[in-house]
Amino acid sequence: MLAMDQGVVEEWLSEYKTLPETAVSSYAASLKDKGSLVPALYKVIRENYSDLLEPVCHQLFEFYRSGEPRLQRFTLQFLPELVWSYLSVTACRDPHCSGCIEALLLGIYNLEIVDKDGQSKVLSFTIPSLSKPSVYHEPSSFGSLALTEGALANHGLSRVVYSGPHLQRETFTAQNRFEVLTFLLLCYNAALSYMTSSSLQSLCQLSSRVSICGYPRQQLRRYKGISARLMVTSEFLVQLITGIHFALCNGEVDLGSKALDDVLYRSQLELFPEALLVGNAIKSSLHGATLKSNKEGTRSIQVEITPTASRISRNAVTSLSIRGHRWKRHESQEDSVDSPDSCPTGPIPEISVTGVSGERLANGEALRCRTEGEALGGATEVGVDPRGQEVRRQKSVRKHLEDGTPSAGRVQL
Amino acid sequence: MTARKSGSRLESEIERCRSETQWDKIPELVRQLSAKLISNDDLGELLLGEAKLQQYLKENPIKQGTSPRGPRPRLQEVRKHLTAALDRGNLKPEYMQEASLIMAKLCYVEADYREALNQYGRVNLDEMQLVGAPVYRLSMIAEAYATKGLCLEKVPMASPSLSNRPADRDQEIITCYEKSGDIALLYLQEVEKALSAGIQNRSPKPGPVTQEQELGYFLETGLQRAHVIHFKNGNLTHGVGRFREILRAVETRTTQNLRMTIARQLAEILLRGMCEQSYWNPLEDPPHHSPLDDPLRHNPHIKDYALSRRPRIYSGENLFCPQENTEEALLLLLISESMANRDAVLSRIPEHNNDRIISLQSASLVYDLLTIALGRRGQYEMLSECLERAMKFAFEEFHLWFQLALSLMAAGKSARAVKVLKECIRLKPDDPTIPLLAVKLCIGNLHWLEEGERFAKIVIDMGEKAAEFRAKGYLAIGLVYSLKATDASLRGMQEEYQKKALSAFQRAQSLSPTDHLAVFYLALQLAVSRQIPEALGYVRQALQLQGDDVHSLHLLALLLSAQKHYHDGLNIIEMALSEYPENFILLFTKVKLETLCRGPEEALLSCKRMLQIWKSCYNLTNPSDSGRGSSLLDRAVADRRQLNAMSLPDFSDPETASHASSSLSGSEPVSPIFPLPSFYPPPKTESTQRPSSHAFCDHHAPRRRFSSASNLPDAFFHGFDSFIGVCSVHATSIAASRVEQALSEVASSLQSSAPKQGPLHPWMTLAQIWLHAAEVYIGMGKAAEATACTQEAANLFPMSHNVLFMKGQVAELRGNVDEAKRWYEEALSISPTHVKTMQRMGLILHQLQRYSLAEKFLRDAVQVNSTAHDVWNSLGEVLQAQGNDTAATECFLTALELEASCPILPFTIIPRSL
Repeated sequence: MLAMDQGVVEEWLSEYKTLPETAVSSYAASLKDKGSLVPALYKVIRENYSDLLEPVCHQLFEFYRSGEPRLQRFTLQFLPELVWSYLSVTACRDPHCSGCIEALLLGIYNLEIVDKDGQSKVLSFTIPSLSKPSVYHEPSSFGSLALTEGALANHGLSRVVYSGPHLQRETFTAQNRFEVLTFLLLCYNAALSYMTSSSLQSLCQLSSRVSICGYPRQQLRRYKGISARLMVTSEFLVQLITGIHFALCNGEVDLGSKALDDVLYRSQLELFPEALLVGNAIKSSLHGATLKSNKEGTRSIQVEITPTASRISRNAVTSLSIRGHRWKRHESQEDSVDSPDSCPTGPIPEISVTGVSGERLANGEALRCRTEGEALGGATEVGVDPRGQEVRRQKSVRKHLEDGTPSAGRVQL
Repeated sequence: MTARKSGSRLESEIERCRSETQWDKIPELVRQLSAKLISNDDLGELLLGEAKLQQYLKENPIKQGTSPRGPRPRLQEVRKHLTAALDRGNLKPEYMQEASLIMAKLCYVEADYREALNQYGRVNLDEMQLVGAPVYRLSMIAEAYATKGLCLEKVPMASPSLSNRPADRDQEIITCYEKSGDIALLYLQEVEKALSAGIQNRSPKPGPVTQEQELGYFLETGLQRAHVIHFKNGNLTHGVGRFREILRAVETRTTQNLRMTIARQLAEILLRGMCEQSYWNPLEDPPHHSPLDDPLRHNPHIKDYALSRRPRIYSGENLFCPQENTEEALLLLLISESMANRDAVLSRIPEHNNDRIISLQSASLVYDLLTIALGRRGQYEMLSECLERAMKFAFEEFHLWFQLALSLMAAGKSARAVKVLKECIRLKPDDPTIPLLAVKLCIGNLHWLEEGERFAKIVIDMGEKAAEFRAKGYLAIGLVYSLKATDASLRGMQEEYQKKALSAFQRAQSLSPTDHLAVFYLALQLAVSRQIPEALGYVRQALQLQGDDVHSLHLLALLLSAQKHYHDGLNIIEMALSEYPENFILLFTKVKLETLCRGPEEALLSCKRMLQIWKSCYNLTNPSDSGRGSSLLDRAVADRRQLNAMSLPDFSDPETASHASSSLSGSEPVSPIFPLPSFYPPPKTESTQRPSSHAFCDHHAPRRRFSSASNLPDAFFHGFDSFIGVCSVHATSIAASRVEQALSEVASSLQSSAPKQGPLHPWMTLAQIWLHAAEVYIGMGKAAEATACTQEAANLFPMSHNVLFMKGQVAELRGNVDEAKRWYEEALSISPTHVKTMQRMGLILHQLQRYSLAEKFLRDAVQVNSTAHDVWNSLGEVLQAQGNDTAATECFLTALELEASCPILPFTIIPRSL
């Protein structure tokens, strides 16, 4: 480590200690002007044996504890590097050192799992439902959604899922290691927009190394750090992938796609469905997109004017166009087995191939109208709908005539 | 009078045609008009000019990204009409304005941008009335703003406004587009209103009424150009804001496609470029400084402009407003999905190939984004339902099939996942990961060993092609054989499978020498066949590769206990516990070892600590558990059919009867979903899930009588049964295991945020803690305490054979042989192959001097588990009592030999999974 870097770090260490309470905010704002500080701190973290490591970790923790968002993000930007440093040390089973990094990571974790008053934090997430009105839609416009059991079961329910409360952790154990690290990555991902490109690069490196160390691909990547395999969990990889996704779309194309490939490689070997699922989806969704790699780290999100007319020709048979179509019932037997399950509310008339199928569908439609009406808090819809239904039916018939499709099934009018 | 009347009707007819863009009808109407009133000649010119210009544009549309081509002869006529109307100046002021606007548009089409701007200079666009204006005029104003914006972009420094600073000019352009977009939305809403009113008033006339409105170049530009510019300038905050404004406007038929695209694009931005901390919700003001905006560019401060009328937005009480970027992305994607799904092209004729590809592409992008959003929040259950809807696109599409399979797997719907994986294998036969995923499921809680074997063989048959996965293939088939060996009831079969398993593990290990799993399972297999020293060698090797692997440490401890080095074993367990303090399987072994090494008092302390750990792990249940009750009910109803289908083969084929220890192997965390006796931590899920169990009970008519005494769902006793059955080596009843399977499917599908501490079901774990305590008390001869502990377990699972067995043990301790016999009989009626019960039963019958029956029980027990040394010993005693000394001697010798290599708990309590 160069003496100059050391000087920068030492100055940073002493400056904050003497800072009066009132100056914290302006100090936080001025941090980004200290150009050589961040690279110097990376060096300290990478060189595990530096004498500066302990005071640096301590100060990073003080930053986090201050509660000032900009200081917290300053600490957070080093998280990928700290996690890698910690994991590589545990893999080597090196008994000494890294104690302060462990303490820093646990410190951040223990701060993040509680709210301002020291109560355990429970993160909540509402799963939106199309059956409830939102700022972007009203349910009636989707009235024609398939009336499936699942749709019925979730009707009008907005589900809220929670994460937490989490246990305080005094030490890392093999059992809680990835639980804690996954949670820390979650915190990091929550601040991704604020992360510098060097931090994103470090995240990509962490992902690659964690995934390939000890596996044949390590030679391919020419990484010569440690060679022991690191245990990982699927949830941990999913959080890494979330960060990689951001990096990929925000300037780090090369490192990002390498990291994504490596994580997918590992997920295949470990047979982790969750990580494979999300990783595949990202790969496939970016397949067509041209990602720009530029040094300024410009956000490469661009949109163009898209034609508003449907790109699908009008005479193609789509889900929409056959919605009013009544299929001939071939499997009346199976149907009579199924129906008690799907409609446990009332007896369904026995259905024969010949006559009543129109009746049955109308029955289903009526049921739907009713549920919609309830969702809107009034029964008026029920009265109006038959007409709409009539229009729809006529349209579908016309469609048929236009298409000239031979009516294979019995079309009941 | 009549003429006047029909004149106004004519006027309204003209207005209607203009609103519905039926330009071809205008000339005829104008002819009628001029016949009526002379003073309307100028209006006629205006109308003809407009109609001809629109007709021209309809036939020669301007494409996005191109510029107009300049003057055209056909447009001369238009100019003549308009000039005539404008020059005479006889028109009413609003018609004069209209004429100017059309003229400006004509200038733009002829690429005369300056002149167009001049025309706009004559009309004050901002002062044109939006309230009460006819529908067509809204469209005209919207187009005018868009065209003005286009002209301003074309002509640098030509802004008629005073300031010429570039920033202000950019601002003016954007404001033009934004106003245009807003008015266009309003126009479309009004058209739709007029249309639906028309449908209600008149009988639906066949004709152009149903024809879909098409936005022209100008309105399309007006709606979208503003946000395109925002994003181009790196101004994400404003771009997102504009997107949201468009999406919040009540949708019309014409905007559906636009909404679908914009919703997806906004979701992309939310997922790719935002994070929780930089998010602001749609009803909030955007932050002043945002990391999303390009700091290098100067972002003009957007002035808020006023419009006298704005498009209607979604409103009402209790509108859902997202509070987080993933939430908003998810809402948008669900909206986008429902539309993309509607557009699924179903016909497979070649002419529709392109359409199909378009609909597939737009849908799969939406599904990929849904996967990213839901994956982040661990909502795999919902994801699997969404991807299920994607199946109408999925014919021969590997990506969609594979994603569905993975989502089902992640949601814990193993049986369906296996079926979908089969299709994936068909579509992509060279990929070794797919069959391996299938094996993982088969040897997990499904316990479909035959299927698992087939999948594993697919990988092995790939040979070199499978590359790094070849070793995994051998590992997989080894595990299948190993589990089969445990299940087999004939000793010959057991040995054959053990041999096969061993050689498969050896192969795996030689192919991938650095894989600790291969070495570990090799060690475990050797241990099961009681080759203790060899097993010790390999387990040490496994630990060198992966020092803190919990199963390797556990196996090491059990191996040491088999060599009767109990203290060393205990040390290892304690070391392992320092890394895995909440691992109950380790803790159970610890209790056993402590009883031997340190006496029952220490063991009881451990039991107490276990109860504390249990409480701290599962007492922390989060609020979403309460919501789960209902979803469990839903699932039970919904899955019934699926369960019927998937488990029927088990009845006919005893070979695949699933096995006790498999319930241990499921590594998926499960959550507390069962009601608890009064004094345990409060369950948040009473009432709701109880009916759900009936779904399972239905399969279970013969067993129902047991549950009559209890208010607990009987399905769970059997789950517990087969769990505690780990102590015996053989399968419990088939039916019980089938329910177990169903239970674990349901339970593991609820995992999203469940406690992750242990693989065991919390209530099963709790019951087992009590049973361990009871056992320790029995060892101490304390009948009363043992009874109390057993009762705790019985409160949770009264019909568990392990509980009944323990009751029998307590009765024996009290010297009550008859009562003990009754409990053992009950235990055996639930689990006829429970070895420990059979052994005790044999001994009691021996005491009662019913030797032949005793011998029968013990011989059956030995058949089930040939390594149970105490059964051999009891058998010897019975045979001796019958005077069969030679056979007795042989039994004693076998018992002695087995006892020398017997671990403190069976090796098979260690889970085996990929």
